[in-house]
Amino acid sequence: MIKKIKEDGTACRKCAEVEKRLGDAGLYDSIDRIIVADERDPESEGMRIAAEYNVDRAPFFMVEEDGKPPRIYTVYMQFLKEVLVVEASEQDAIKDIMDTNPDLDYI
Amino acid sequence: MTVKEFDATRLAQEYMHKAPAGIIKLALDSFDNIAISFSGAEDVVLVDMAAKINPEVNVFSLDTGRLHPETYRFFEQVRNHYKINIEILSPEHVALEKFVKEKGLYSFYKDGHKECCGIRKVMPLRNKLNTLDAWITGQRKDQSPGTRADVPVVENDSAFSTETHKLIKFNPLSFWTSSQVWQYIRENDVPYNELHTRGYISIGCEPCTKPVLPNQHEREGRWWWEEATMKECGLHAGNLNKKTG
Repeated sequence: MIKKIKEDGTACRKCAEVEKRLGDAGLYDSIDRIIVADERDPESEGMRIAAEYNVDRAPFFMVEEDGKPPRIYTVYMQFLKEVLVVEASEQDAIKDIMDTNPDLDYI
Repeated sequence: MTVKEFDATRLAQEYMHKAPAGIIKLALDSFDNIAISFSGAEDVVLVDMAAKINPEVNVFSLDTGRLHPETYRFFEQVRNHYKINIEILSPEHVALEKFVKEKGLYSFYKDGHKECCGIRKVMPLRNKLNTLDAWITGQRKDQSPGTRADVPVVENDSAFSTETHKLIKFNPLSFWTSSQVWQYIRENDVPYNELHTRGYISIGCEPCTKPVLPNQHEREGRWWWEEATMKECGLHAGNLNKKTG
């Protein structure tokens, strides 16, 4: 999991939220490494990975398998479903709907 | 007609330039299990048009528990004016109580509005939509150019359809402007929310809605404190460019 430290040195709220959701769902141990993308340091490991794979949002997940190119997931729900193969909670499902359909804000 | 037989993509093209009342007629003629989502704002024109086609049209509204008193009064006014039943949907109380206990009543000013909207609005909306074949919304392209630049008049609802439940969404006002909506309201003596007379254009929950000044976009009156946090999940391109450049 690649999480962000903002330019002002504070933690990214969304990244903390996703970390909490992983913990609440008992999935934290499924994450091999937490890598920091520090916006103050373009050479930080997370920023280098983001640049290499052209990712412009955080957090994101990188899945490595032998003999295959790494897969990048920027949508938490998709990562849950396809990689961790778990059923999302209703709250996660709602969050995903809102994240991927910003126009619903105004319903 | 069943949802499976309904060709939303073709009909979106065919009805793109038709009047909203024609699109509502298509919706009501095509589906029995259909309802209008009425927010208590200028989307009242949908109710007006639909009631003229089918006086027993199904209408629902999302009562987040945080609406203005004026909006609650307006729901009653519309109910009486059109002699229709408006199904009022409430948040799921266990989720709401847990949320309020953990975060209080104004967490959206700090954490952003999405968690609160998710529980008070989107969750009950999803539960309702799971019971329908199609729904009708007041979404318009001009409401939020950033997120609503592409709003077809009818579409397969990708947000709320599931593998086992396909849902069709009609947006009859998509190609209308705010000015056209208000012209219709005046010409047809349609009742409207009294907040509109006090500078409110887009109306949502009371803590998250404010009037706008002349020439301000209507969306500037919603979640106005969030400009910074909305961008927060982005990784700053400048830094990425330094690396790639």
